[in-house]
Amino acid sequence: MRVEQLYKKNAHSWMVMGRDAERREEVIDTNHYLIQNNGRGLLLDPGGVENFSVVAAEFSKHFELANVEAIFASHQDPDVISSLPLWIQANPNLIVYMPKIWVSFITHFGVKLENIRPIPDEGGVITLGGHDLEVVPAHYLHSSGNLSVYDPQSKIFFSGDIGAALLPDDSTDLFVTDFDEHTQYMEYFHRRWMPSNTAKMRWIAEVRKRDVEMLCPQHGAIFKGKDVARFLSWFENLDLGSAWSNVR
Amino acid sequence: MSGNLYTRRMGDEYNTIFRQCVSLNTELHKLVPLAKQMHLLSSNAVSSAARAGSEGDAFRVLTQDIQLLGDEVSDCIDDTQKVIGEIVRLASHLAKLFSNYMIYVDLQDRLDGSSTKTSDKFFDQGQKLVAEELRSNNYKLSRSLGSLTNLLSPIAILVKKGEYLAVCSSVEAASAGEHGVSFEAVSSMLRELVGQLGLQSARQRSLLRDLTEAMEKQQNNQGKLLYAR
Repeated sequence: MRVEQLYKKNAHSWMVMGRDAERREEVIDTNHYLIQNNGRGLLLDPGGVENFSVVAAEFSKHFELANVEAIFASHQDPDVISSLPLWIQANPNLIVYMPKIWVSFITHFGVKLENIRPIPDEGGVITLGGHDLEVVPAHYLHSSGNLSVYDPQSKIFFSGDIGAALLPDDSTDLFVTDFDEHTQYMEYFHRRWMPSNTAKMRWIAEVRKRDVEMLCPQHGAIFKGKDVARFLSWFENLDLGSAWSNVR
Repeated sequence: MSGNLYTRRMGDEYNTIFRQCVSLNTELHKLVPLAKQMHLLSSNAVSSAARAGSEGDAFRVLTQDIQLLGDEVSDCIDDTQKVIGEIVRLASHLAKLFSNYMIYVDLQDRLDGSSTKTSDKFFDQGQKLVAEELRSNNYKLSRSLGSLTNLLSPIAILVKKGEYLAVCSSVEAASAGEHGVSFEAVSSMLRELVGQLGLQSARQRSLLRDLTEAMEKQQNNQGKLLYAR
């Protein structure tokens, strides 16, 4: 498991954890992010029940997890959020931000409504220790109710499954080092899991409105600097919903 | 014993309980047509008694008892199915809670000896909460099992009652002259139905015994594990 600080300035920081070498073979590798601001914490896509103990143990080394006041779920998938009941058992006052349309589905994981703060389709703002984070709609990319998070201070854009790559097991890089080489690990995922080119273009337009230094997906490597723009161009030209051979 | 082994063993025990609940539920469902047939039989008995005129007066009283017997069997099935549903839900919830408990155990093992910024109390709270829920669910499960035993006990009595009604019907048939043929047909059908009810009841009692044993075993193992830690 690799843990790295992506950004730190004064009392504001971003941390990423990924490349869990201990995970079972059949479990997809996931990235988890912890934003800290003024001593308060927000976990982005904390992961599945399978890797709760690893994620909790690793982040424990770097932050007092009792100060994590909220969790953000980009969408409803089990690799994103099935660990939620365990986090809430440890902190019953935890707030969970999630796409509004998934509330009645995610509650099947055993979460109570009192912990949930639904985010409407148009997005919104999450305030962490006095600092505002923008919640940007990313619907149909891949989930029909999907959200991204942008932090104007660090210029980090958490993109959920957008930009995800199914990397080989021996890949340990947290950042994309060779973009052209990297596309082979992304193409099938985006063409197969994401259905809407219209949604894709809207999301790209939203990202381009912002000053983005890092684009952080939930799987695979992080795009930094010029690779952010490279990814957006590559994604723009990709025909989504086309990876199934029977598509007519 | 390692946590993983315990989890696997407990997982197997929960699976056994779940399967046994499903078997018992299936057996109980077989009583539904029996109860319906009993109602149909009581309607036939009422018609036979009506056709017999004053000679059917004594038999008419028996038809009311047959109808009551059908109602009692139906009520018993309804109540039992509700309890079985609750038992299956509790067993499945327990399995989930136990799995969560073991995840916390794994987390504590990982944190042992490492320097962390998170206080020990933070995850202790989660683990304790799960342990409390486990105990509370186990208690509810035992209580539901007790209710199930209580609900199934009257079936044996209902079988006896049915057998007695069948004998009474035969006696009435013998003394009812030409109408006795239809009374005897009712009696014979009733004997057949309560016979089936008796067989089902015996099978259910046996399944319930197995279920109780499985639950006790699981609760003992779980108790040992929770208190051992």
